[in-house]
Amino acid sequence: MTKPAPPRSALLQGTLDMLILRTLRYGPAHGHQIGKHIQRTTNEFLQMQHGSLYPALHRLERRGWVVSKWETAPDRNREFKYYRLTEKGRKQLVVEESQWKQMAEAVARVMWPPAEES
Amino acid sequence: MKWWQLRKKNADLEREMRSDLELEEEEQRESGLPPEEAHYAARRAFGNPTLIREQTHEAWGWAPFERLAQDLHYALRQLRRSPGFTLTAVLILALGTGAVTAVFSLIDAALLRMLPVENPQQLVQFKTVSPAFPEDDAFSYPSFQALKKQTQVLAGALAFRRLHKIDFEVDGNSALAEGQLVSADYYSVLGVKAVRGRTIVPADVAVAGQNPVAVISYDLWRTRFALDPGIIGKKILLNNAPFTIVGVTEPEFYGLQPGEKIDVTIPLTTIALVNPGFAAAGGPADALKAPFRNWLYVIGRLQPGVTAEQATASLQPIFVQCMRNAAASLAGTPVDSPAIRQAILQLRLRLDPASQGLASLRRQFSKPLWIVMAVVGLLLLITCANVANLLLARANAREREMAVRLAIGAGKARLIRQSMAESILLGISGGALGVGLAFLGSHSLLALMARGRSPVSLSVHPDLIVFAFALVVSLATALVFGAIPAWRAADVDPSHGLVQKTQSSAGASGRHRLGKFLVIVQVAVSLVLLVAAGLLARTLTNLNSFYPGFNRDNVLLFSIDPGTIGYQHVTPLYEQLLSRIAAIPGVRMASLSVHEPLSTNVSDTVVKIQGPVPREGDDLTPVNVEMAGPSYFATLQTPLLRGREFSADDRAGTKEVAIVNETLARHFFGDTDPVGRLVSIPGYRGDSNWVEIVGEVRDMKVHDLREPTPLMLYEPMLQNPESNATFEVRTSIDPASAATAVVGVVKAQDGRLPVYAVKSLADQLNDSLVEERLVASLSGIFGVLALLLTSVGLYGLMAYTVNRRTGEIGIRMALGAQRGTIARMVLRETLLLVACGLAIGVPVALFSARFIATQLFGLKPGDPLTFVIACAGMLAVTVAASYLPARRAASVDPMRALRSE
Repeated sequence: MTKPAPPRSALLQGTLDMLILRTLRYGPAHGHQIGKHIQRTTNEFLQMQHGSLYPALHRLERRGWVVSKWETAPDRNREFKYYRLTEKGRKQLVVEESQWKQMAEAVARVMWPPAEES
Repeated sequence: MKWWQLRKKNADLEREMRSDLELEEEEQRESGLPPEEAHYAARRAFGNPTLIREQTHEAWGWAPFERLAQDLHYALRQLRRSPGFTLTAVLILALGTGAVTAVFSLIDAALLRMLPVENPQQLVQFKTVSPAFPEDDAFSYPSFQALKKQTQVLAGALAFRRLHKIDFEVDGNSALAEGQLVSADYYSVLGVKAVRGRTIVPADVAVAGQNPVAVISYDLWRTRFALDPGIIGKKILLNNAPFTIVGVTEPEFYGLQPGEKIDVTIPLTTIALVNPGFAAAGGPADALKAPFRNWLYVIGRLQPGVTAEQATASLQPIFVQCMRNAAASLAGTPVDSPAIRQAILQLRLRLDPASQGLASLRRQFSKPLWIVMAVVGLLLLITCANVANLLLARANAREREMAVRLAIGAGKARLIRQSMAESILLGISGGALGVGLAFLGSHSLLALMARGRSPVSLSVHPDLIVFAFALVVSLATALVFGAIPAWRAADVDPSHGLVQKTQSSAGASGRHRLGKFLVIVQVAVSLVLLVAAGLLARTLTNLNSFYPGFNRDNVLLFSIDPGTIGYQHVTPLYEQLLSRIAAIPGVRMASLSVHEPLSTNVSDTVVKIQGPVPREGDDLTPVNVEMAGPSYFATLQTPLLRGREFSADDRAGTKEVAIVNETLARHFFGDTDPVGRLVSIPGYRGDSNWVEIVGEVRDMKVHDLREPTPLMLYEPMLQNPESNATFEVRTSIDPASAATAVVGVVKAQDGRLPVYAVKSLADQLNDSLVEERLVASLSGIFGVLALLLTSVGLYGLMAYTVNRRTGEIGIRMALGAQRGTIARMVLRETLLLVACGLAIGVPVALFSARFIATQLFGLKPGDPLTFVIACAGMLAVTVAASYLPARRAASVDPMRALRSE
């Protein structure tokens, strides 16, 4: 039995994976950092609960797009689980990005049609 | 990811989430929130941990298994919480599955398992059929050689013959062994290999009387030679003839007849060394040359793709030619007659599947074993109904729990699944315990079977098929007994369940009806079992009290075979033994014969009668010939009807005489007096002399108690001495206590003489009833078990009913009902249930008793006495079972009952 997903992550379905992969392009990060980064970059528009990242992170890991490792953070004396983008993940990001672009363009063409030709 | 990494993965996720939460909390604190608020703010920002956990688990792809594990875990907890219920249910189920598995493992070993040889499904057994003779499976050596040349349809063929009780002497120690004579390709056709040395090869069988080599079984190598690695080349004596051991066969291979085991195998061309009399080498009846001497079993291996029918069609012309040769070869022998030639020419070949070996054991035990299987199947049904009832009562007790769970949003499917998980756990644990019981039980069953006249050695071991069977049975029973309660468990209206008291809710009364139905089913099925058990038990009693034509009490039997240790003239030995045995205190008289009474051996032949007979022409009705010593009938106390019996004067050199039984006298002489008539027995030993009938005796059973008495012709043992003899010793004391003295006399006469089959005639008779005893005792045991289970089920139901109706009973009592009336009310309900069960059970029992009609003796399937006893027993036990609940009902305190309502 699948529990209904919370509404906010429903908004993100499909794009969350892409956002995570894109964030990891900057380098390895742990869950908290990824969540914070997405939140900050979108100017708090995507007010996600960062717990909802974990199912996505684990899914990405199962598909081999990211790998994880417990490592000590450089600034603190404490271990975090760092996710790192793989080569496969990089390619996937390119695919998703182009799909998203096409999608956005298609939506945009419907919503804001170019000036009608007379 | 693999499932065994789940635990580690879980810990990892926990750590990750905890670390995230802590970090968030720190950040919140740093932004100025007090610790308390920081804690909650962090949780809000993080989200619902349980939900995240579940969703992450989904991402791992093992969710369905996890849910199953959860269900099983939950079920286990539920079962642990009520150990009494769990133990009862598991024990009941173990009984049911155990009984079924035990019987199945025997059926598997005796009837289903294939021979441990290469591609057993290609094997066929050769048989002969004809209108004149009963179906037979013996062939002559020349016929076998001609048939096996047909290689278009036969990939190979082998012939063999058992050598019963052969004297096996090694380093001066002699003991009896079971042997066989085999043809050149025996081992290569079967694909059986030697674990030491070699098997018998064609060169061993090429020349008659040459190459006395022997291959022994792994079992004999272990028991007799302690797995001695120097076994190859060992010299042994078989019936006093020297042989050399050349090999040991694979441990799985016991020979071609399931249930029998072969210790030693020799080339069939050495027959003259181990049994010169039978071999008749050089004579017209030479076992290796005469086409009419049928003594070999033949097994063929079909070419791939060839069916038995095609092979039969292709072999038939060759077989017909063989029979022509056989008929022609009779010329000049005393056996010859136009009728016999005609009968031989009518014989035709038939090929039967032999993948499971020769059929004798299957014939003997298949019907009894299937009956017992049906019995335990019914018992299993009762255990299912019983456990279903237990589960129903439990479901009732848990109705509130179910209602609460439904109310807070559990799906019905989930509840059903959890209920089924409980049933499956119960089924599997019951099954596991049952398998344990089964292997204890199957050995006792095997011991029951092995007590018969011919030794049964089956390897009943826990093999994959039996385990798979037990697993399937357990799961199937779990489905059967679990399905209804599971369905009902979820069939609760949450509002009802929560608001009303469980005792009077609508669901409960439906459940109660179901419980009644299950009890009725149990009563009906138990009755069927009881009737079957009763009929079979009465059959056994009838057979035991049946007069077989001799007095079974106080007779000791033992057998010797002096020929095997080199005796040429046995008459002096027999005479001395008889007189010395008769002198033992406690022995009244003694005699001897070739076969023991109720022997499994058949020696039938055809006879000719001189003078007028009621039938025209040659009569091919088989006549059994038995050699009997002086005072044989007096010793067995078989009444002499006319003439005289054999005396010590009927010996070699005196006039040849014979005694006939009533059946033979009636068949050949009608109402006239057979005494003084002349008969010849050409088919036996090729003897064409006329023999005078000097007496007629009362019929006695020859092979078993159920057979129609065969036509019997007795000849004096001392006139036609045979090497193997069974002594009948009539004692005035318990025969078992005379055994030591009797065997001592034989040992004193000749210490080398092996004495075997020492037992009382009563035991011999008992042993002949091994199948009857097997089915009677097993169905008796299982019938009583069924009765017990049913009464326990009924007790449970009535106790539950009384409990449920405590309030009502309280009101009735408050309104003036007497305690007796209340008790009668409960009893009436019990009787009604039992009556319903009997009303269904009696016709079903009448119908199913017809299937065991052929097993019955001295009574009909619809035997009224058995039915009355079974019904009465059922009533008595079930009423007794409801006594306690009835008393409980009668002792309800109206005040307390009403207050608790």
